[in-house]
Amino acid sequence: MKKILIATLLLSASFVFAAEQNARDIMIKVKDRPDGDTRSSSMEMKLVNKNGGTRVRKITSYAMDVGADTKTIMFFLYPNDVKGTGFLTVNYDDVNKEDDKWLYLPALKKTRRISGKSSKTDYFMGSDFTYDDIGKRNVDEDTHKLLREESANGFNYYVVESTPKKEGEIFSKKLVWIRKDCDVVEKVEFYDKLGKLHRQMISSDIKKVDGFWTVGKMEMKNVQTGHSTELLFLDPKFNVQLDSKIFTVNKLERGL
Amino acid sequence: MVKKLSLALLSAAFAFSAHAQDELSLQLNGFVDSYHALQLRSPQQIMSSRTRLRLEMRANYGEASLFSSVNLAYNGIIKDQTGAFLREAYFDYAGRFLEVKAGRQIVTWGVADGLRLTDLISPMDYTEFMANDYDDIRVPVNAINLKYPGESFSAEVVFVPVPEYFVIPTSDDNPWQMPVPNGMRMDLSGTPAKHIKNSEFGGRFRFFLENLDFSLTALRTFNKSPVTVVNFDSETKSAVIKGIYEPMNVVGGDVSIPAGEIVIRGEVAAYFGEPIALKNSMDYWLRKSFNALLGVDWYAGDNWTIMVQYMHKVIMDYQSILGTDQNTSMLTARISKEVLNNTLKLSVYGMLDVDNVGFYVRPVADYLLNDQITLSLGADWLGGRRGTFKTYKKNTQIWVKGKFFF
Repeated sequence: MKKILIATLLLSASFVFAAEQNARDIMIKVKDRPDGDTRSSSMEMKLVNKNGGTRVRKITSYAMDVGADTKTIMFFLYPNDVKGTGFLTVNYDDVNKEDDKWLYLPALKKTRRISGKSSKTDYFMGSDFTYDDIGKRNVDEDTHKLLREESANGFNYYVVESTPKKEGEIFSKKLVWIRKDCDVVEKVEFYDKLGKLHRQMISSDIKKVDGFWTVGKMEMKNVQTGHSTELLFLDPKFNVQLDSKIFTVNKLERGL
Repeated sequence: MVKKLSLALLSAAFAFSAHAQDELSLQLNGFVDSYHALQLRSPQQIMSSRTRLRLEMRANYGEASLFSSVNLAYNGIIKDQTGAFLREAYFDYAGRFLEVKAGRQIVTWGVADGLRLTDLISPMDYTEFMANDYDDIRVPVNAINLKYPGESFSAEVVFVPVPEYFVIPTSDDNPWQMPVPNGMRMDLSGTPAKHIKNSEFGGRFRFFLENLDFSLTALRTFNKSPVTVVNFDSETKSAVIKGIYEPMNVVGGDVSIPAGEIVIRGEVAAYFGEPIALKNSMDYWLRKSFNALLGVDWYAGDNWTIMVQYMHKVIMDYQSILGTDQNTSMLTARISKEVLNNTLKLSVYGMLDVDNVGFYVRPVADYLLNDQITLSLGADWLGGRRGTFKTYKKNTQIWVKGKFFF
């Protein structure tokens, strides 16, 4: 009887492990979805408060993969009070390494080295997206569980539950809908520390550009405050010719 | 004539450096702001009332650009602050191995927040002491800046033929006028002659590495904030407070190290030949001094930022006849928090002159009314037992500002 119990427990544990492993593999596939070695895009964010008031943010960004790591540089173009502000990040694939980050403030004509841990959980330019949502969150910062597979709108999805391993995150868990045909995240539900739905993200205009699957529009709604953000990726380009000198503090200070 | 020639040379350099296939693009930006301050202590006078139009123009052509920024200002309190003022006007060329920036520009070095150790090239405009935005306080200089831009390393040299010096408020209509004892007058006109031997030049190496940034600097400059001594003017038969400017050499460097949620900043500078006034205010001696700053920035998440700095200065070969303590120090703190989807920024910046127990505190609330308009409400609270902050105790004020960007 005791042996059967132990065998059952081991079997159950191995199923849980296999399910987690399977979910992690799915998330790895999402993260490693081909997107070229270099990328450029213009982003336009429309911030809408619950009264319908809108604000607009415009950004140009460039990214380059260096091995498993990614360098990204962003320049804020609008509104004019932040025009010229630049943000340079070296995003390390190694979960134990903090990212390198620099922020250029044109009003002070100064570059600040900022904490690699900072900003990740802060909202990006007053939007409903955190810096983590916009960048590439490391897969191993969360534990993943494949909840189910489902079909809707003519597509098949994996539904994965991701739970942060560390404390200090702004979500307690998130549910992620991944389109099986293209490994693109189409919907995410973020739950707060009390387990209540906090934010909901929906991707649309999913299409192939230069042979790479890409998202044209993301909409994030904070269901608790009614504030929402529409993020448009305009003119995305992949495998563009970029000089590695673009991803330097010098370029950050010079601007576009 | 000199200005016209400079502009012609800038334009020629701009045309020469561009390639035929490049397209010309023009940008025009700027803002209108209006700032009004009221003294909190008796007699509760208007401390400042100014409105200005800032125009910033940039012409890009290939790797070259021309930039200029101009202030058209009306100042209801200080007469000589009304008019058109050129801030920056420079030619910029960005080659793969060499970058050139020539013309009137603001040069910023170092990692200190609001304090100057190695950041000595662009001096400070104290027309309204520190009751101004930091970017408005910096004085542009006419300089040539040559830079090698590497990926994780850069090297630059700066040459300033005619250095600029601190702007000290002396006009009678300025509520921030530096007080002068009765029967005396201040004469700060004795800046070094416009001669090649009085030029300013220096270099800086910067490194940007994984988990570490640092730079090394060397500069031949002057004490741009004048040391004052009392002379007797035989013509007017009165005492004159005279500003002294002496050449000095500076070597230093800075470092930034991120560690988790914090970034540790450090900056050091040794000044060789810094003039120090004597206790009797009749003369000054040249001394070496060592200046060091340690700062911690805490990015606490949820749009909180906390920055604390400690700066210490030691005068070498010290003798008690000198009018300054051998060791002096300053503490600063900046705390900011953004709320309401980053539309409201609440911040407070404070400086503590440890030795004089003097303080300066500037709380500010900035509200983004929309994408173009920012409304600000703030205060400047000054006081203490001794020193400059105590001198300006009566100037404690509240202020409002509106800024429209275009």
